[in-house]
This record gives sequence, structure tokens and C-alpha cells, in this order.
Amino acid sequence: MSGTHGTETTAGPVEGHVPPEATSATGEAGDNSAGMAAVTRVARATLSPNGVIDDPTELRTYECDGLAHYRVTPALVALPETTEQLAAVVRACSEHRVPFVARGSGTGLSGGALPRADGVLIVTSRMRTIREIRREDQRAVVDPGVINLDVTRAATPEGYYYAPDPSSQQICSIGGNLAENSGGAHCLKYGFTSNHVLGAELVTPQGDIVQLGGLAPDAPGYDLLGTVVGSEGTLGIATTTTVRLVRLPEEVRTLLAGFRSTDEAGAATSAIISAGVLPAAIEMMDALAIEAAEAAVHCNYPAGAGAVLVIELDGASAEVEHEYAQVERFCTENGAFELRLATDPAERALIWKGRKSAFAAVGRISPDYIVQDGVIPRTALPEVLRAIAALSSSSGVRVANVFHAGDGNLHPLVLFDDARPGAGRAAEEVSGAILDLCISHGGAITGEHGVGVDKAAYMPKMFTDDDLDTMQMVRCAFDPDNISNPGKVFPTPRLCGEVPGKRKHAHPLVEAGLADAF
Amino acid sequence: MTTAARTRLDSARTALSSACSEVVDATPADAVDGVPVGLVARPASTAEAAEVLRAAAVFGLVVVPRGRGTKTSWGRPPEQADLVVDLSRMSAVVEHAAGDLIVKTEAGALLADVQAAVGSAGQRLSLDEVVPGSSIGGTLATNTSGPGRVAVGTARDLLLGVTVVRADGVVAKAGGRVVKNVAGYDLGKLVIGSFGTLVIVTEAVFRLHPVPAARRVVSVSAGSPDDVQRLVQLVVHAQVVPAAVEVEWSGTGGGTVGVLLEGTAAGVEGRAAATIALLGGDAHATDELPAGWGRLPWADEPVAGRPTALKATFALSALSRVLAAGQAAAGAAGVQLHLRGSGGAGVLYGALPAGTDVAAVREVVGRLREACALAGGALVVLDGSPEVKAGMDTWGPVPAIDLMRRVKEQFDPERRLAPGRFVGGI
Amino acid sequence: MAEQSGQTRVQQNEPQADPQKAGALSHGPVPLDGSALRSAFDDEHPPSAELISDCVHCGFCLPTCPTYTLWGEEMDSPRGRIDLMKAGLQGAPMTGTMVQHFDACLGCMACVTACPSGVQYDKLIEATRVQVERHHDRRPGDRALRAAIFALFPHKKRLRALRGPLRAYQASGLPRVVRGSGLLERLAPKLAAMEGLAPPLEKREKLPTRVSAVGTRRAVVGLLTGCVQGEFFPGVNAATARVLAAEGCDVVIPRKQGCCGALSVHNGRQVEAEKFARATIDAFEAAGVQTVVVNAAGCGSSMKEYAEVLADDPAYAERARAFAASVRDVSELLTELGTVAERHPLEVTVAYHDACHLAHAQGVRAQPRTLLREIPGLRLKEIAEAEICCGSAGIWNILNPEPARELGDRKARNIAATGAEVLVTANPGCLMQVSSSLQRQGTRIGLAHTIEVLDASIRGLPVSTLGPQH
Repeated sequence: MSGTHGTETTAGPVEGHVPPEATSATGEAGDNSAGMAAVTRVARATLSPNGVIDDPTELRTYECDGLAHYRVTPALVALPETTEQLAAVVRACSEHRVPFVARGSGTGLSGGALPRADGVLIVTSRMRTIREIRREDQRAVVDPGVINLDVTRAATPEGYYYAPDPSSQQICSIGGNLAENSGGAHCLKYGFTSNHVLGAELVTPQGDIVQLGGLAPDAPGYDLLGTVVGSEGTLGIATTTTVRLVRLPEEVRTLLAGFRSTDEAGAATSAIISAGVLPAAIEMMDALAIEAAEAAVHCNYPAGAGAVLVIELDGASAEVEHEYAQVERFCTENGAFELRLATDPAERALIWKGRKSAFAAVGRISPDYIVQDGVIPRTALPEVLRAIAALSSSSGVRVANVFHAGDGNLHPLVLFDDARPGAGRAAEEVSGAILDLCISHGGAITGEHGVGVDKAAYMPKMFTDDDLDTMQMVRCAFDPDNISNPGKVFPTPRLCGEVPGKRKHAHPLVEAGLADAF
Repeated sequence: MTTAARTRLDSARTALSSACSEVVDATPADAVDGVPVGLVARPASTAEAAEVLRAAAVFGLVVVPRGRGTKTSWGRPPEQADLVVDLSRMSAVVEHAAGDLIVKTEAGALLADVQAAVGSAGQRLSLDEVVPGSSIGGTLATNTSGPGRVAVGTARDLLLGVTVVRADGVVAKAGGRVVKNVAGYDLGKLVIGSFGTLVIVTEAVFRLHPVPAARRVVSVSAGSPDDVQRLVQLVVHAQVVPAAVEVEWSGTGGGTVGVLLEGTAAGVEGRAAATIALLGGDAHATDELPAGWGRLPWADEPVAGRPTALKATFALSALSRVLAAGQAAAGAAGVQLHLRGSGGAGVLYGALPAGTDVAAVREVVGRLREACALAGGALVVLDGSPEVKAGMDTWGPVPAIDLMRRVKEQFDPERRLAPGRFVGGI
Repeated sequence: MAEQSGQTRVQQNEPQADPQKAGALSHGPVPLDGSALRSAFDDEHPPSAELISDCVHCGFCLPTCPTYTLWGEEMDSPRGRIDLMKAGLQGAPMTGTMVQHFDACLGCMACVTACPSGVQYDKLIEATRVQVERHHDRRPGDRALRAAIFALFPHKKRLRALRGPLRAYQASGLPRVVRGSGLLERLAPKLAAMEGLAPPLEKREKLPTRVSAVGTRRAVVGLLTGCVQGEFFPGVNAATARVLAAEGCDVVIPRKQGCCGALSVHNGRQVEAEKFARATIDAFEAAGVQTVVVNAAGCGSSMKEYAEVLADDPAYAERARAFAASVRDVSELLTELGTVAERHPLEVTVAYHDACHLAHAQGVRAQPRTLLREIPGLRLKEIAEAEICCGSAGIWNILNPEPARELGDRKARNIAATGAEVLVTANPGCLMQVSSSLQRQGTRIGLAHTIEVLDASIRGLPVSTLGPQH
């Protein structure tokens, strides 16, 4: 649940700004001041003079990422310029048991980079060198602070681009994308960060530098890289990263279709997918979201639309031509009253601008809001949208819907005015109920924003204790001291000393005297 | 087998039998890469599999999971194999949600059966069956892939969720049944290619793709490694959107590049023509897949016995160097090396005939490994005769091996799941 | 216990820190009462809490912020500065550190363009700067330099002393405050570079007070001649008058006009800014024009802000609103009117550089491009990273020469990459800034104001009048 807002909070438990279940994530200053002092000394000795921030005023600017609802001032901010510098800071943290949190551009929407009051915030914004664009290998090698869109900018002259495109692609960093396994509108066809990261240098929570994967695929051994991607900074900090570059398509067609209702738009989406067409993206926005986007970027979406679809087809021209004819037909058959095909890059950009700025644009129509991120099987879309509408009308809380319709990834924006007593609480309840809807339809509590500090408490709704325990075995293998972004993802940390597989209880047959254990 | 071990197995049998409806004595055919097996349990469900592993844990049995047994000799022989957990009874395609383009199957399901089930809705699981008769579980455990990886990737790009049974018998799942999901760690990735050393996968959910309406293969012959590389580079940088770019390099020198095009009938026709023009030479298009397409080269070895099976991975730009290294090494050692694979993805499989002198194998492996390592990749000896496996480091050097050992230590601290089969003796 | 020790730590390290912040671990709003220390802002128009609350911390502003681009630090980014303003509102004192980050802001307003939430950072930083000027004691060197700048720039006669080859000699006639400050040493290389690239410094032709429309009269407009524009690019004012006349405008050029106060408005010098604003309003009201046309981006943006500058002056508030509404950039006015004068071909490739105070502060991006594209034969190139400031930013490049040079060099590289023969922009500051970077990297390229290109086309002058001059 991400928020925007007035003084400080957006949504969230109205009294107390960090919910009780999240306090384990924030740390409390002063637990280990000697350790902190030692880490500060190492940071000062290792980093450039302006790479260590401990001025309280300056530290305040790092107290939250893109989810401003949770705020904690870190004890120290380190801005390394090289992997070696970063590793030195981590090594010091490990030696002195000081927790650390990695941060890229600070645009995450789940509080994954929420600092610890008793820890170091390690920011990669000065590690922004694009090391290589390897056209022949269809790979780029970049430092973690490199901005997502800059990879594409660097590869475009070679005829390539970097496919994952979160809405914040103009500023979010590759390192942050890797930590969160970021998605984007085009992952319907091209997949997520995990499908595009092929190698990374990892600074382990002990401060060791190890290489996972690389230019070649299928590295022998466990796919640790695949596990690290999306682990939200809890398994270490990835630095220099090798990513896949994708050939720029021969043709791109972006279609804007206006419908009277989300039901119609949903039916058109189903028809397209069922026919075996795989567009690069199918995005839906409802009337409220359209209103916000219009106010923010004047995207000129069809007037009076109850929903719009942004459908993008790309690939070989002959295929796109054929698919476009099908898509056009399915939209019309399902009630589209206006179809608009972008005829030049500027029109295409304007259509996408409306969609990509939608989250922040909602600030224009509501003083406060929560950005929700949930996933449902795509076929459940009409049913879940109706249920959300019912929730909205019964609670009186307005909900704007922006989502990746092609893959069932919903982003309901729950609107409220925190100045009104009880409004925050009501919005929070609606937002939570939407997640429950996702879970009950066999979906997921987050499709791309991550669990972070925001949804750790929801993990037990989706996973059993055993599931979470098993995941945390990986955590224990990487970070037995629980210092790498502790308190995120998991509601309760696993004690790594507790070795699994030891017989906690005797086997029933042994108990019954039917068998002997050796 | 020692008497003590036999006694232990006898005690365990009772427990196992109460856990699982089918527990039998192993036969010599159950041996895992030459290592004899005591018992075989065939659980019918995840719950039964969990009970089996709990019982195995109580009795300290070393367990080797098995799908359909088509690749049990891959990797290194396990140190011991008291119990094979055979998943062939867990063969159901549990759910095919065509509208959501997903399928949920049990791990023992045949890949071919899954394809048949989803094919009726015009869909496919984009994992090539490179070893005929493979199960889903075995495919995941060994991370096999075929020509289609150029366009849609490998198991890691398709697997959405897994249900696993841990060495201690605890059932856990990760991921889910939706395409997009970033809640929690992606344990599926960890399990893929783990050769049964971490957990036993019992169920898996995959994303599906629509079956294209038409396909054509454009083939062109290439006279030298440089020629192969030139042709592959032409195709991958062009706008023909290949579904696969296969390279065939015969032991006698000379080879073929095959480009698979999939899509609409009209689109494929046009792209095939464009590809032919692009590649020049004797490039021509066919509807049928060329002989050997998508099969591992050692399956085509005429000599009876156990050929040496190699997997080479490398940066795309090193394709010619790897081919040249293989050719030179084979020439120097006086052996036939047959290479085939996804030239467009940086993966080649190699076969050396059964009975090839171990020193010659070592020579070829060494030279190829050097070429792959220089190109950011690796060379693995997937399979071979006991002499070959004993005579060399089959997995080769593995970075981050310490971290991998720590993962193994967490999941299987007693080393009871296929110990010794995997990298670094894991 | 932990909170207690946290509080202790922060207080020990930074005696001036707000104890409440440490105590609250900054979760949630900090009450404003009870602080023993003076908070950063007084009650007279502090940055508005309501405007601050519009920021959702999405970070979309970061890549367009020149200082974030340079240093990669939050406190030197728009959202970080907003965090600092919020801290100030919540009672944090105005420390030197805090001021340093406000001062570092170029005021380019690229973040305003980039912000999807509509945060009015322009209003926030200007309010903050006024507070900084009121409450912060600057170091003596800084103070002297600023004093010199404001003793020089708004004064046309003093600026004139810096023109041409005689400037060293003439400069001796400048006031002591200017001569002793080091300002001239910082300016000299830029002036020399600019003279090498800009059209030759013409003999300052005295503009008449009125230029009549050619053909049918379509509008009566007043022209602001500006300080730097008027002294260093007098040809631009003459060209503006000619183009406006050719397009059917009677152009009134009030003699009495002085500095519009842009530099003062943008640097928090409230009293001075008000004085300049009143005088400018007086001058143009007396001229009786419907529209006031400006050809310098910085001047136009500040004149459009007069309503805010004079909001508290009962005698001027209403007049300032009306005046602000009548201000147009020359490219805005020309596209509003629709062009009628014949364009002669100019076979030239030009790169158009968005002046921040035109593109970001006034939202004028399309109009200059439209006008340039109307010229037959002219090829228009876009500059990569167009949204990022060249580092000029009013007086910022004088106060921050090192980072300004980095930004200028970055801009110059992007300009050179376009392969254009002429760089076109609409702000004298940008021309001064970019010219030295271009010259340093050895790029031979002409510099021209948009209006000079239009003038050349309308008059059928050759491209060489816009080309490199050295």
C-alpha cells in the first residue's frame, strides 16, 4: 500500500505511523552505537569525503523511498562509487553486526528500501556507469545505479533495448529493479527483470564479492542469481549486472480503445488472449484513473470512456499487421466506441504518458491515496472488478483502477482525504479487502511492487508457516546474522541456528513401537 | 550392501509402507548411475511423498528422486542410494486454465502428456522434449532445454510456482498460479537444475503460450566456424524474429544453421523469404523440422554404450571460437566430436562416441572448457562412462560454490538427497 | 530505551538538531510547539505545507534535476529539498547545511515539468529563498560576491562597461563592490568565449520608442529590452522589433523601462524584486500596450510571476495580476497571432536548446520549434537530455563555477552530437554559458537567438550571418 499525502501519513494504521507488525523492520537507534561508530569510521576511510552522510538534516532526505508512508531516518548513509567500496562498508557492517539497507533511486512502492534507525543505508546512485553494450552478445553490463531507461538509450543506436519497463523507468535503477524483480507494462510478452538479468556481482551480507551467472546462460550449480533477483535486498547487494538486450521490433503499433465500461474492456482483453494473440502490453484504466491522467498530462483519452485499453503490438511487420486486424475486431465486437492508432512516436508517447504517470497523477483528484498491487488470474478480472466496485460503493471509498489487464496485475488506487477523521482507516480496510479478493481468487499479494515492509504482514495469508520457513532457509544460507535489509519480506525472522531436518518429533511408527529409528 | 544397511532398510520398509501405498525392493534396473538402490517408493500424492521423506529422515535413508528415469545417470553418481522416490504415479495434469494460459501438473507427468492436454486448446508448454519420455520433474531437475529457448527461454522463464517436499518431509510451496508474482523468494529458480539435491518437486505450475498457426525452417550450410558465427549473427540482429537458431556441427567439419520461424501463415512466409535472402548460399525453407532437430547429439551416436555428453555455454559472440576449439581438440585427440545446439542462445551440446579413450575425452573437455570460460560460460560433462566420470572434473569450476554449499546445508543438512551428484560434491 | 539512546546520539552529534525529531525517530509529524531553537522559517510566507504535501516522493523529478545528475544525492534533488523544507516547517533550524542544498538548486524548474503530481516546486523554492535571505548569515566572501552581482547586472550602464575589447579598461569605472569581489575574474572568460561565437557585437543601435507595423496592424505590443540582452545581444532586440513589425505589430519600446527583477525574484531578494516589478509595471502601463513581449526567457518567467511578487502590496496586487497575464514570450505571441510575413529559405541545420525559464517555467516548448520549422530549408535537431539545464541558471554559474562547468560541458557534448551548424536558444544566460563550453571542447558552431533566425529568414539574409564568427 503506497501512499501519498499531506503531512506525513497517507494511509495505514492511523494511530502510529509504523504498524506494529512492521516495527521489526525499522530498528531502533542506539542498540549498537559502538558498532555503528566503527562502521562509520570504515566508511569515512573508504569512501570519498562526500560519500558519507551523517548530518541529521541531510539524513532526513533518505527517510523513505517511493512509499512515503513509512519513514525512518537512517543512522548513516553511504554512497559508494565502486563495488569494492560497497563491499568494504558491508564487511564492516557484518563484523559489527550493524544492519544495512540497499537503495537505488528510492522509487520502490513497498518500502523495500525503508532505512533502519540503527543501520546504514547504502545508496548506489553514484554507481551509474554503463560498462559495456555488447551488441554481438545481446547483452549490456551495467553498474547498479544505472537508470533503467538509460540502458535502453545506450542500446538504441545498436538496434536494441532493455525490455522491462516499470512506470518509473526514467529514474528507477537496475540494482533496484533486480532487488524487486520489477515488471512493467511490457512484461506480458517479454517477462520481468528475472528473465532479463543474466549475471550479477553480488556483495554477500558478509561483504564477499561473488559472481553469479554472466554473459553465458545456464551457469552450472544452483541458480542463486534467480533467487537473488526479487529477494528485495535481503540476500546481499547486487552490483555490476549483466542484462539481456532485446532487438528493437520492426514495427510497433499502439492502440487506444475507448469502452463504456471495464466489463467491455475486460471482455475484449479476454477475446484477444483467447485468440492466441500475445500483445506486448494490454493496459486498462477506468474512468477515475482516466480523469486523473487527463488532469496531469492532458493525454487526450476518449471523452466519456468508462474504461480505456492501451494495447501495444510489436514484432515483425507482417505479424503485427495480422494481429492488429484481430485486436481491432475484438475491441469493436466488445463495444469499443473509439479506436485510435498512434501514427507517430509522439502520439505513442502521449498514450503511454497517460498510463505511466497514472499513479502520481491520482494526486490531482484526491489529496491522499493508496496504490495497491495485487494479481488475479486474468479470467477472474470481471468478477474481481465488480467486487471492488461493490466494496467501493458499500464503504463510500472511491477506487480508481489502473492495471496490466493482460496478466491480471491490478493496481487499484484507493482514494481518501486524510483530513477527514476515519478516512484513512476506511481506505486501509478497502485496500486490504482488495488483497483478500486477490488471494481468494488464487492470485498474489504483489505482482511487481514487492512485499517490502508494507506487505510483510500479508505474507501469512498467501503462504503457510512452512512455506515461509522454507524460503527463509535461503535467507539463513546467505545472511545468517540477519543484517541484510532485515524486517522486510518476512513477517517474522527465522532463527538461523535452528537447523531443519533434525527430528523434532519421533516418527509415529517409532512412537508406536512399530519401528526402530537409527 | 552391508548387513547393517540391509537391516536398516528392512526397518524402514515398514515405516515407508505405512507412508506410501507402493514400496518395493529395487531391482538392478533401478540403480542410479551404477549405484545400487535398496528400495523404491512410489508415492501417489504430495502428502504421501512427504510421509515417505519423513520416514526416510527418521531412518537416515539416502534418497534419490526420480521422474521417469530417463536422465538418472546425469551428473556424478550419488555416494549412496538407499531409496529411490519414484514420481511416476504422480502423473496427473492437475489443471489447465486455458483462459489464463497456465497449467498445473504433478511432477511425474510426462512432458508429452502435458503437451497433449494443453494442445487441445491450441496452447503449448514451451519446453522442448529433448530427451524422449521425460517427466516434468526430471526436466526441471536437469534444466533441459531445446531450440525454443531462443524465443521463450528455459524452465526458469516458464515456471510460476512449485510445491516441494523437503528432506525433513515438510511440504512447502513458492510462487503461485499467476503469471506475475513477486511475493516471497522464488524457490522455483533454486530447484531448477538442482539435480534432486535440495528438495523433491511434486507439483509445478507453468505459463503457456499459444501454438503458432504456421512454421518454416530455413536451413543453410556453413563451411567453417566463422561462417556459422556470421550466419547466426546475421539472423539474430535482423528483424526476422527467429523462434530458434540451431547449429549443427558434424564431427567431420562443416555444419548447418537452422532458423525456425513461427507465426501466422503469411507472416512466416514473408520472414522465411527474408531469411533466405539474408543468409544467401544454399539457404532454403522447409515445413518439416530437419533430422535431429531438438535432439541431444549423443542420442544419435551410432556406437553402442555410453557416449560422453557435453554441454557448452558461452557468450553469443564466442560461437566460432567454441566451435573451432572443439574441432581443433577433437582433431588433436583423433576423435569425433559432434556439436549441436542453440547457437542463437550460446548453448551447444556435444557428443563423443562411446569407448573414446578417457585421455582423449579429457583433452577435448579441457580445450572446450577453456574456450567457454573465456566467453563467460562453462563446460559440463553431463554424462559419460564410469571411467570418463572418474577421470575428470565433470562439473568444472563453479563460482560461488561456498554459497551453494550453505544453501544445501540449510535444506539438507544431513546430505540425504542425492549426495555427491551435483557441483562441488554437493 | 532505544528511543532514548537514539535521542542522545543525535543530540550529541549535532547540537542544533531538532530534539523532537530524534525523539520521534521521525515517524509521523512532529509537533511544532516547544522547540527551544528557532525554526528555519518565520510565519511570513514560508514554503506552503499544502504545496509540500502534494509531493508523493515518486522520484520522477530526479533524472531532470541537474544537481542530482551531478552528485546523486537526495538532499540535492527536488524531492530532497522538499523534505528539507518540511523539516524546516516542523521546526528544524536553518543550518548552513540546509541552506547549502537550497542554494545549490539552479531553479531550472525541470522538476516542475517532470512532476506527475503537479508539485509547484517553483513556488516552494522561491518562498524558501526569501526565508534564506532573511535568516541566514552568509560567509563574507559569498556575501561580497552576491552583492557585486546585484550591483552589476540590473544596471545597464555598468554592464556596458564590460562590453567589447575595452572592457578591462572600462571595468575600472565600476563600483568598488564589483571590482573587489572576484566577480569580473569569473565573468571574463565567459565574455570572451561568447564574443567568439555569438554574432559580432554590433554597435549598439538605439531602438526607437515605436516601430510601426508593416501592412495591416494586428496588435500593439510593448517590448522589454532587458539588461544582459540589451547590452550583450542588442541585435536580438532589434531583430525582435523587426520581426514583430513584419508580422503586423506596432512595437512600443518604453524608454523608462529598467531591469525586470528576474535575478532578484529567483534569488529570494524580495524587497529588490518588488521594486523592480513596480517600476516595470509602471513603465508598460504608461505605454498603453495590450501585450508585453519578452525575448529573454528568465525575464519572461519572472514577469509572469509578478502577481505573486506583489501579492502583499494593496496598491499593486491587482495591477500585477493584469500585467502578468499580458506577458508573452515573443515565440508565444507569434504563434498566437499566426505568422504572415514571407519566410525566405535558410539552408542550415540548427539545434534548438530549451532555455529552462522558457520550457520549464513558462511551458513554451512547441512554439519556437513551430516557428523554426516554418522556415524553408531549415533542418531542426533535438538535443539529447534536452530537459537538463546547461548550468547557467541566472547567476548560479557565477556562484558555482565548477558544477556549472560540468553541466555546460555535458550540454556542449550533446549539442555537438547533433551536428548542427547553429545553436538556437532564447536566453542570453544560456548563450553565455554554453559558448564557453563549446569553445573549450573546440566545437565550431554559431549561436543565435530564435528571433534572429526568423529575422534572417524574413529579410532573406544568408546563413553566414548566423554562423561561427571565429
